[in-house]
Amino acid sequence: MKTKHIIAGSLLLALTLAVGFFSGREFLSMRQDDEIFPSSGLTAKKMLSDYFPALKDTAGDTEVFIFDSAAKGGNLLIVGGTHPNEPAGTMTAILLAETIRAAQGKAVIIPWANASGFTHSDPQEGSPQRFFLETPAGRRWFRLGSRVTNPVHQWPDPTIYVNPMGQKLAGIEARNLNRAYPGKATGYLTEKVAFAVMALIQKEGIELGIDLHESAPEYPVINAIVFHENASELAAIAQMELQAEGFEFRLEASPPNLRGLTHREWGDAAGIKAVLLETPNASHGRLKGRPTISLIVDGKDKYYEQAARLGRLFVPYGPDGIPLKLRVARHLAGVRAILASFNELEPDKAIELADMPSPADVQAKGLGPFLK
Amino acid sequence: MVAVFVLLATVFKLPMGISLALSALAGSLAGGEGIALRHLVEGAFGFFDIILIIASAMIFMKVLQESGILDSLVAAILRAFYKNKILLLLTVMLLIMFPGMITGSSLAAVLSTGPLIAPVLIKLGLPRLKAAAFIAVGAILGMIAPPVNILVMIMGGGVDMPYVGLTLPLLIITVPPAVIIALWLGTKDLRIVSREEMQFLLPASLREKYGFRLYLPLLVVLVLMVLQNFRIGPIPDLGLPAIFFVGSLTGLFCGRRFNFFKATQKAMEEAMPILSILAGVGMFVQVMTLTGGRGWAVMTFLALPPALLYLSIAVSMPLFGGVSAFGSASVLGVPFLLALIEKNALITSSALSAIVGIGDLMPPAAMAARFSAQVVGEKNFFRVLRHCMIPAFLILAMGIGVLLLAPLLDKVI
Repeated sequence: MKTKHIIAGSLLLALTLAVGFFSGREFLSMRQDDEIFPSSGLTAKKMLSDYFPALKDTAGDTEVFIFDSAAKGGNLLIVGGTHPNEPAGTMTAILLAETIRAAQGKAVIIPWANASGFTHSDPQEGSPQRFFLETPAGRRWFRLGSRVTNPVHQWPDPTIYVNPMGQKLAGIEARNLNRAYPGKATGYLTEKVAFAVMALIQKEGIELGIDLHESAPEYPVINAIVFHENASELAAIAQMELQAEGFEFRLEASPPNLRGLTHREWGDAAGIKAVLLETPNASHGRLKGRPTISLIVDGKDKYYEQAARLGRLFVPYGPDGIPLKLRVARHLAGVRAILASFNELEPDKAIELADMPSPADVQAKGLGPFLK
Repeated sequence: MVAVFVLLATVFKLPMGISLALSALAGSLAGGEGIALRHLVEGAFGFFDIILIIASAMIFMKVLQESGILDSLVAAILRAFYKNKILLLLTVMLLIMFPGMITGSSLAAVLSTGPLIAPVLIKLGLPRLKAAAFIAVGAILGMIAPPVNILVMIMGGGVDMPYVGLTLPLLIITVPPAVIIALWLGTKDLRIVSREEMQFLLPASLREKYGFRLYLPLLVVLVLMVLQNFRIGPIPDLGLPAIFFVGSLTGLFCGRRFNFFKATQKAMEEAMPILSILAGVGMFVQVMTLTGGRGWAVMTFLALPPALLYLSIAVSMPLFGGVSAFGSASVLGVPFLLALIEKNALITSSALSAIVGIGDLMPPAAMAARFSAQVVGEKNFFRVLRHCMIPAFLILAMGIGVLLLAPLLDKVI
């Protein structure tokens, strides 16, 4: 009997080790960073820890790309990857870093704001770990991460998360970068990342901040510019410009009692003009069918089509879906319109970005041709 | 997947956890995903935190039993409340609800105060199964009641609704059922006893030998649970597993001596079936999502005609809650909240949280029912569920009623 138990136990242990080994290799593959090939307009590459040294050698540290014209103007911050499962935000930031040159003022780009979130996937979402795009140099891969920081890097979650502004949230939100602002130097890793971004805003003299997101098509704040009240005029002018270009954007005021988000705390704590852009992404919605790579890139989903027919969505969703190239094009158009609006309102602090791909071209040709 | 699960669990009589894991594997193969090893492991870790909470709480319960602390606490409660039936029932209901109210988890309520309350109720004449039902339903009401309702927080997170202004709607939904259920379950069977009889019923108390020290483990757990919600200064944010573990270690020095390692082993043996179910449920849900089954299920419910929306809410949310109440709040709660967007979201999310909370009584996980059955020494939790039916329908009716009357309530409150 004892021998039987030993044999059964040994077999189970061997099976567990084998499962751990093979699945572990897949999980660890997410720690390999995506590559980025900045444009020749790059003037400095820093790490987020340069602004808050306590972040150095942690999973929260991430690359910061600076494009400085040396010509007098304003300073812009573009953040992608606050939520690593919202690929249009990250891809827009990468596309900008690989193409632009600052003609006036300065642009600071953070493509993977929650770097830790890119090292794992959300359990029970069944998401692919990465997606692929064809570029002139060949096929490139990009990680699709989780909405929140990797629990390997920040754990355990509290039962209730009280964020730095005192807002009570579900425990898992302690790992959500877009609930952690203005951050905390001695707080959770995610709060330290938020704290470092705030330090960057101060040190680089940022005047305008754009946080690039995506939301599920069933979510009301979608195809939208969410703005801090100090950026209301800026957002309204940008919306008109976008409408003239054929892009429908809603205007959403940042709720004053919803604390910890970029569009609230960047404006309140740092005093900059803060906006957040949302595009519709089926791959992180609750109604999605198979969460495939095609769903991320081509954005077609039969259940979302059905939901649109039933009037359950806040965006039109037809058989052509909402592909990544359209979502990135919308973000590019949003960035361009916001910049134009900012320049109109603050001519002394104008920011001009040259060589930015046009939204129409990205929509027509896809992202690949513009990436290196 | 469902057919394979039923076959394995009923015909082959395999343990639920193993049946769920194997049916997830079958789903992955049938869905053309091969042996989706990464997804199976990732899914199994979906409830890792809850698994740790259960494991640590089971050790805590065992420590309270082995050290004699539990008996002493039961004796103290009996001494305090034996004279007045209504006061006793309402106090006991509040005591059960309390850990759920501060942690937002019915499981924490069942596992922390359940073992204290069950012997009191049983000694005073409440049948064992009814006592378990009392604990299970009380724990669920505690999970829904303010100040902390994680189900609303999850739904609110999906629609950017701050967790503010929910106290009144949540009280409206929980207080009437709590009073009615406590009295309905207890009034008939609970006896008023004389002082002499009460003395006779009292379990052996170690109060005289160890004094106040006996209450320290429970006090430590409750204080740490409350403190972690406020992130006060130097108090570390331990998380529930570590809190239960600290409580267990405190228990080592507060009552009679016992073999801690044997107690731990016994606790893990008892916890293993539910731990494996949770890992299996995680795999099942992940493969369901991977193969598009989850999207199909959600859309099937959302596609019902508007007239059937409330029926669909009443059926689907508790059913999915049988897998995970938190999962149901996220996957179904958010779309339903959006479907009711024209009504006051504070009221509708409160009502939906009450409906989804009933999921903790639903198989296969049936967390509240399963563990309250364990607390009273009942192996078949379905026998406890029989006594939970009417309270569950009352909570469901309350939830649906509040959803229907939301516009009126909006004007009143």
